[in-house]
Amino acid sequence: MPELEDQLTAVAASIEWPRTPQLRIVRTNRLFEETSPRIVRTSRRYVLAAAAALLIAITLAFTWLGLHTTIYRVPNPPTPSAPPSGTLGSNLDLGRPTTLSEAQAKVSWKIVVPPALGHADAVYLKPAANGGPSGGEVSLVYANAPGVQASPQTGVAVLVTEARGAVNENFFVKIIGPDTQVEQVSVNGHPGYWIAGHPHDFAFSDANGNFYMEQMRLATNTLVFNDDGTIVRIEGEMTKAQAVRLAGSL
Amino acid sequence: MRGDAAAFEEIVQRYQQVAFRTAYVITGSAADAEDAAQEGFVKAYRALDRFRLDAALRPWLLQIVANEARNRARSSGRRQHLELKLAEGFRPGDAAPSPEAVAVGLDERRRLLAMVNALSEEDRQVIACRYFLELSGEETAAALGLAEGTVKSRLSRALARLRSRVEETARA
Repeated sequence: MPELEDQLTAVAASIEWPRTPQLRIVRTNRLFEETSPRIVRTSRRYVLAAAAALLIAITLAFTWLGLHTTIYRVPNPPTPSAPPSGTLGSNLDLGRPTTLSEAQAKVSWKIVVPPALGHADAVYLKPAANGGPSGGEVSLVYANAPGVQASPQTGVAVLVTEARGAVNENFFVKIIGPDTQVEQVSVNGHPGYWIAGHPHDFAFSDANGNFYMEQMRLATNTLVFNDDGTIVRIEGEMTKAQAVRLAGSL
Repeated sequence: MRGDAAAFEEIVQRYQQVAFRTAYVITGSAADAEDAAQEGFVKAYRALDRFRLDAALRPWLLQIVANEARNRARSSGRRQHLELKLAEGFRPGDAAPSPEAVAVGLDERRRLLAMVNALSEEDRQVIACRYFLELSGEETAAALGLAEGTVKSRLSRALARLRSRVEETARA
């Protein structure tokens, strides 16, 4: 017989909670920011009616076409499991693989490459149209780095991510998770943060001033700094001194 | 400030489920919990400027929503008895059952949940927060408006009472 605590955990997994209302912020006027949001619930009745109508339409369409389909709900983005056989970093949702020169031609800032690491093993570009921040995001992926162990799950030792924007300290510190420590650092005179532990999310204001939030791909120690309007993020199993040294070589 | 509104929208999306369920544990009513979550998020937005940078976001939000839930439960004058139920079967889209869930049969789970439902409100809430909502000690303290030490002792007493009921039933 499992312990009582384990039994309660087992019960938790099968509790039928009432459906969570879908809350969303409605911007009622241009003074929204100076007043307060109106948060409304999407009416369940209308949602159900719309869902039913959509389901009927899809069913009819697929019946007519002689096709069948199953729609699955994916509650969380997939987590990296084993090193992929394709391009390094291809399972990290970094955008499309490209070359450094092609990426450079598509973005407005000068992509910085850490001299201490040399040529990246893979380069990715994530334009705003494909879910990246305004101005796009470039990722440099390294399988090897001196003194840094590659992740057994991803095969990546160091990941350097760059995008135009500004660190939104208020929010990134809040959402970063409880198992992390954030420390202010300076990289060649640029303000930055050393995030030690297992950060999961990172938030910043992109080139258009929009809030942008994404997952830390390696969920490990990370150095973030602002290089004259470009946010550079260096993730990897390294110490603060290693990361600052690496960033300082830029 | 534009970024703040968009950021808050993300926060609402991310935490609305745990906020709503916490409110449900407190009010015992889905309708009151919906109102509490909605109002709680509005209050949180207004209080954003007073937010301490060294504090964690989730407990802070849960505290605001839970306060709202308690106020609602008090002002409505009706004490809804929280009655948690088990889902009848595995639904498409659900996460795969945990090893604990596999180890504990459906009837056992049903009996145990009935015993939790029959506990006092205090005991039921602290168990629901810690085990069913999987809140941390800090989050449970924030949600129930208690000190963390009080949560620990209350949880220990609640588990002892539940354990003795389980044993009584096993002997009967």
